[in-house]
Amino acid sequence: MDAAANFEELTVGIENTQTASTGPAKAKSGRILFDRDSRDTVGEPFVEDARMTCRDVNVYYGDKQAIKDVSLDIGRNEVIAMIGPSGCGKSTFLRCLNRMNDTIDTCRVTGQITLDGIDVYGKDIDVVPLRAQVGMVFQKPNPFPKSIYDNVAYGPRIHGLAQNRAELDDIVETSLRKAGLWEEVKDRMDQPGTGLSGGQQQRLCIARTIAVSPEVILMDEPCSALDPIATAIIEDLIDELKQQYSIAIVTHSMQQASRVSQRTAYFHLGDLIEVGDTAQIFTTPRHQLTQDYITGRFG
Amino acid sequence: MNNATANGLPPGRRAIDIVNAGLSKRYRRERRFRLYGISAILASLLFLSFLFGSIISKGYTAFQQTFIRLDIFFDPAILSQESLTTANYPGVVKQSLRQMFPEVTTRQDKRMLYGMVSNDAAFQVRKLVLDSPEMIGQTLPIWVAADDDIDMLMKGHFDLDVPESERRINDVQLAWVDRLQQENRVEKRFNRTFFTAGDSREPEQAGILGAVMGSFYTLLVTLLLSFPIGIASAVYLEEFAPKNRWTDLIEVNINNLAAVPSIVFGLLGLAVFLNFFGLPRSAPLVGGLVLTLMTLPTIIIASRASLQSVPPSIREAALGIGASKMQMVTHHVLPLALPGILTGTIIGMARALGESAPLLMIGMVAFIVDIPGGLTDSATVLPVQIFLWADSPERAFVERTSAATIVLLAFLIVMNATAVILRKKFERRW
Repeated sequence: MDAAANFEELTVGIENTQTASTGPAKAKSGRILFDRDSRDTVGEPFVEDARMTCRDVNVYYGDKQAIKDVSLDIGRNEVIAMIGPSGCGKSTFLRCLNRMNDTIDTCRVTGQITLDGIDVYGKDIDVVPLRAQVGMVFQKPNPFPKSIYDNVAYGPRIHGLAQNRAELDDIVETSLRKAGLWEEVKDRMDQPGTGLSGGQQQRLCIARTIAVSPEVILMDEPCSALDPIATAIIEDLIDELKQQYSIAIVTHSMQQASRVSQRTAYFHLGDLIEVGDTAQIFTTPRHQLTQDYITGRFG
Repeated sequence: MNNATANGLPPGRRAIDIVNAGLSKRYRRERRFRLYGISAILASLLFLSFLFGSIISKGYTAFQQTFIRLDIFFDPAILSQESLTTANYPGVVKQSLRQMFPEVTTRQDKRMLYGMVSNDAAFQVRKLVLDSPEMIGQTLPIWVAADDDIDMLMKGHFDLDVPESERRINDVQLAWVDRLQQENRVEKRFNRTFFTAGDSREPEQAGILGAVMGSFYTLLVTLLLSFPIGIASAVYLEEFAPKNRWTDLIEVNINNLAAVPSIVFGLLGLAVFLNFFGLPRSAPLVGGLVLTLMTLPTIIIASRASLQSVPPSIREAALGIGASKMQMVTHHVLPLALPGILTGTIIGMARALGESAPLLMIGMVAFIVDIPGGLTDSATVLPVQIFLWADSPERAFVERTSAATIVLLAFLIVMNATAVILRKKFERRW
């Protein structure tokens, strides 16, 4: 059964539950295995041949615990979507993967996160090469107030990836091509990146991220500030990029999650509630909370 | 139950009626509020124009000076070739005056006659002779500066209704001035001396260049020290320092320092730089050090505010592609914060330029005739020069005080305008 067909079925399902107004637990009781109070992870959070592994990750902001015992793998060449209501910790979890949370003084992370078998929170790990390997695209497009060229070339420059100008030009062009922006900007590389449209800016940020040849790309709601057309372009781009990179994407749009991802993780108030194939999560969720969320009961 | 009571309103009353009833009162209040603002601005403009008007009306005459044309006979008897540097040049000037007024014979009258021209005339003649000795033996018309009393008379600052015995110019001198005017020997010209000379006890020879150079060297030291130290402190405190009790304490103290009266910094400078380190008194070096202490808090506070206003998204973008913290700061945050930092620095510098109190404590209030040529030469600064001249009894110093104030204000306006232009030019939007 393909994902599109499942999605159709799902939308029909939502309508059904809404019109029936008797609640999903009754309507689809046969499938729901875990009730609302259960906080154990349902489904299969682990994959063979994982690129990144997370084991029993807890994150605290001061006294407040934002992430509770989350274990999750990110496989090779897959797009994993993280969904959940606002404040559920999915962005926090994403930011742990390349230690962006280090910039927050009160933030404390326990548990183990590895990249290719190496503990990223290890004593002798330098965050600079880590972030070169695990790139990040943010919610709001944030190009540097510099030229388009300099935006993309900045990463390769600071990491010394290019020996000379020709190589740098090459990296910039390749990255912009991969980000699907080359044709639009090739004649105005010296103009400020901030002058592009929102969707172009976000693709510029993606180009900037892939210019340093990362292995994993983290995307924190990359389309939330974009219109549907720009969103569609970026979703196509994510599909292309997964040939080469592992991608973890946080999104508020369940349609987006179902379109771009192979696996989906559902977070709820700091707990990882359910992980599984995207098609399965959206058609036959096994946890009551997942069911509530994807049918639009909250979030 | 009708709709009105459902909204919690009294029956029969619609919300829109209540809103409309209160509208005129609201608008009245708004108009009154605007009126307060406009009258406040008008009041401050009034005071400002009063200040500027008073300074400019008093000071503009100082940019002109009265000159008298003398027919100077370069007498070979006095100016022998061998001793041109030490010859009796005042004698040459006096001789010319005696020839122009042959009727003056008594000793007292002669003294009065000689007092008509500035004693700078002798130096002027000396310079001419040394530049071109071939003048000796000729009689040439030379414009020399008039004495400050004559200058005041010509500018109309002299009250002739006062009895002769109480006047600085008596009737005989007035007659001479009239005669000179009839012979077209008196003229008002642009006062170059004011911009090219140092201080002097003689108002017609006094200029602001010494004070301007003193201010320049002092501000140079202040800028060279406070700009890098201020930025380094601000960047460290804002970007690198952990947020704990110690950094809080430092922050509170920096804010306190900004509010410390400037004379206290002068006392500190006196105790530390002069008495402890034994640095020279009255020197721009020490003045600059003291003003650095005074300016640093301003620059640090402005720089920190400017650094804080750089959006976090830029920091995250840089960190997200693997820039180290220092690269993030130097490549992205600092360039974006620089316009604000520069503005803060220039405003701090402008404050330092206008500061006199702390410099009084370290001896920059001395009477210094020479134009300072370095950081350790004795010097004074513009505001202190204004203070010194304001204290002088001669009438001619009144207009010079105002003129020096005009120059100081001009410098301040230029500096503040630079700050505004820099901010406009480098301001980026994202």
